[in-house]
Amino acid sequence: MNMDQNEWRTKVTALIAEIRELDAATIMGESRLREDLGMDSLNSLELLSGLGEQFKLDLPIEDALALVTVDDACVFVMAAWKAQHGAGA
Amino acid sequence: MGTKRILVVGATGFVGLHVVDSLLAAGYSVRATRRPRSITLLLRRRDVELVPASLEDPEALRAAMVGCDAVCFCAAHYPRYSLHPEAAIATATEGARAIVEAALAAGISRVVVTGSIASVGPAPEGRAADERDVFVSPPVESVYGQVKWYVERELDRGRERGLEIVSLMAGACFGPGDLRLGTNGILAAMLAGALPWWVDGYVNVTDVRDVAQAHVAALECPKPLPRYALPGRTVRVGALFRWLALRYQVKAPALELSADDAVARADREERLAEPKRERVLWPRELVDLVTHGRRVSGTAALRDLGFAPAEVGETFDQAAVWLVTNVLAPARRREERRP
Repeated sequence: MNMDQNEWRTKVTALIAEIRELDAATIMGESRLREDLGMDSLNSLELLSGLGEQFKLDLPIEDALALVTVDDACVFVMAAWKAQHGAGA
Repeated sequence: MGTKRILVVGATGFVGLHVVDSLLAAGYSVRATRRPRSITLLLRRRDVELVPASLEDPEALRAAMVGCDAVCFCAAHYPRYSLHPEAAIATATEGARAIVEAALAAGISRVVVTGSIASVGPAPEGRAADERDVFVSPPVESVYGQVKWYVERELDRGRERGLEIVSLMAGACFGPGDLRLGTNGILAAMLAGALPWWVDGYVNVTDVRDVAQAHVAALECPKPLPRYALPGRTVRVGALFRWLALRYQVKAPALELSADDAVARADREERLAEPKRERVLWPRELVDLVTHGRRVSGTAALRDLGFAPAEVGETFDQAAVWLVTNVLAPARRREERRP
């Protein structure tokens, strides 16, 4: 699985849209999870859990609550994927 | 004969997760149900078989039970607000009935249920309350108590139909792993200095790991009672807050409300929180539990299940460290604490 940044963003956005029951088209990279999208800490955990399942990652809880924007979440999950599945995997 | 397989319903929740751990430690093989949006972060780190099922899907529930020896039901309905008693009672009753029906259909030998100390009513003069004192009619003072009462009645109907059910009526569970900040939300708020008010009464502080261990013991007990009270330690709320404040070097909540004022305040906060589905720090359910709390004895659970409550300090320390580590509560002079 070799996805570029846009593909990661599409997947992350789709999950946020599902959790918050929003139209995915209204979610931008710079949208703030808390202020703009209304995500509380439980929603953040749902996001983390969903991403973890989708990409077979073990994601640390303590990092999830520090994510500010949608782009943060994308970078976070991409980095975790690289670290856990290896470059070129 | 191979390893026994146990189905845990509610394994993505606080108590259920610990039940999974206790079962795995005791050598059982564990299957766990999950809903589409269950938070599986912690559960996926365990060696469990995850199967999609829910209390609203009888066929999936029965299928999940097939091939299992017993069931731990840690997903009895927990009403977030006390605003809609009829709906909460209906949901809770239907959920318990779904478990009973599926277990009977799947030929399950025993079901162990996480219940609540709220089902234990007053004792006769001269002794502490225990499992013999389950309310004979729904307690009028608490919607939560009513919900739990109806669950127990539904379980009784299951027993009458020949299903062996052991209901564990646990006190307020504290400990690590409460991702959704249920009961431990009070501790997190206290650590953050954000508990605005309090109301006095009795609370039965129970270590979630003791409760989990009791589930395993209840599965293995040759002739269990239908119910056990798992009270942990009975403490006064005011004394507990003062003690926590000293232990963690934080401020105790300043404003003490009377029981009537606390009820009114909790109701108001729930009505404000409901449209956004937010949680309140002091839900009405907890106010009722505390103001109508009583000393409860866990003698039968000690005798039959080896339920020996942990030291309260240890329970809170481990809960607090977990909350801080997972940034669900702020770090604060952790090295300097202890009275």
